[in-house]
Amino acid sequence: MCYRCFVSLGALFVLLAAPVPAQTSSGVPRTSDGHPDLQGTWTNATITPLERPAALAGKATLTDAEARVLETQSVNELKEYDGKSEGPLLTATGSAGTGGYNALFLDRGSEFARVDGVKRTSLIIDPPDGKVPRMSAEAGRRLAQSYTGGSFDSVKDRPLSERCLVGFGSTSGPPMLPVLYNNNYQIVQTPDNVLILVEMVHDARIIRMNATHAPPNVRQWLGDSVGHWEGDTLVVDTTNFTNKTRVRGATENLHVIERFTRTDAGTILYRATIEDPAAFAKPWTIEYPFLATKGPIYEYACHEGNYSLTDILGGARKKEAEAGRN
Amino acid sequence: MKMKPFGVAACATLMLGAAPAWAHHAFAAEFDAKRPVHLVGVVSKVELINPHAWIHVDVKGPDGKVTTWMIEAGSPNVLLRRGFTKTSVAPGTPVVVDGYQSKDGSLRANGKDITLPNGTKLFLGSSGTGAPYDQKK
Repeated sequence: MCYRCFVSLGALFVLLAAPVPAQTSSGVPRTSDGHPDLQGTWTNATITPLERPAALAGKATLTDAEARVLETQSVNELKEYDGKSEGPLLTATGSAGTGGYNALFLDRGSEFARVDGVKRTSLIIDPPDGKVPRMSAEAGRRLAQSYTGGSFDSVKDRPLSERCLVGFGSTSGPPMLPVLYNNNYQIVQTPDNVLILVEMVHDARIIRMNATHAPPNVRQWLGDSVGHWEGDTLVVDTTNFTNKTRVRGATENLHVIERFTRTDAGTILYRATIEDPAAFAKPWTIEYPFLATKGPIYEYACHEGNYSLTDILGGARKKEAEAGRN
Repeated sequence: MKMKPFGVAACATLMLGAAPAWAHHAFAAEFDAKRPVHLVGVVSKVELINPHAWIHVDVKGPDGKVTTWMIEAGSPNVLLRRGFTKTSVAPGTPVVVDGYQSKDGSLRANGKDITLPNGTKLFLGSSGTGAPYDQKK
């Protein structure tokens, strides 16, 4: 391992070993009740993947020079991707898909996520290998089904994002993960509630401050979120999920603890710990910035023109009819 | 150079591996890889609607009969941020579309690449331009 990698990993271990402080920040805007003002429009777009790619194993961070090489390469590869037959490209990734996204349709940012001055190679900071801990077989099955759906017999068997019910890839969360596009969020804050409006599928998270969770029989698509301040950090605890949402194959007993710290005028540091013993061998933690961005976020009226679902179910009916004739 | 061992492989994984799975819908569920289409026609309408914008293209067949195809593009939220509006392509604009027809056999196809007669691509961009993430700098 190179010296630089060793130093980076060492720093990460120190970071993980230390208790999470209630970070205090000076120079950040504050609301009238004295808490940091998290309001505004933010984006978590980044090319840092959730899990550290195998080719970067053992390397938790990148220097700016290293990151610049990969970021430039990433943009160039995307340019090359334009106008080429997708078959060979997708086959090379192991996909059997037909592809179809022009580079212009993607909006996942162009940089690795920067935290504490250095760029990260995975959103996961714990476990230190940057990988989701071992998943149960059932969680693996649920995760796969969240991509592909079940049968094509009913609209109810299709993935939630295909049905425009919630965004794909846990963009609304919690945890709020960056995805291919529409990684934009608006936060509105009062002493009693914090609202996070998610651009994708206009999901709205309402966090009740200093409240207790709803009874266990009350289940919600985005879970039941309650919040409190620890110093200058907003801590949000979410339980009471449904058995329909599929955050990396988690069950309805998923427990997510998020921490929002406005570290400067243009940054909220976001950290979330995901716990679900039925799905993951141990809890795991992600961390990355939400950066201030120009508004507005736009309406995402997904049902308005969801012709795709018609095509998908119609395609299955056509296939059945053809099979019946043969 | 120390970058070399992980450079190319890492980026290939970052860029291409994630794209097909993490979208509004799986393309393989909607479009048929065995039915590529090459359409030459004129734009009749642009629908800037979610979850995907659709560009309607009138295509004249060998028999002179005109059929209207709908071509699926990206989320209008992204397109607007990149400067593509409802009026960016005027009705009557000739275009060439290469894509795949929908599995149900309707006159719909994906439109990753739409080209104007002079060879210019209708959608030309990279994740490093125009996005809010980049504009703040």
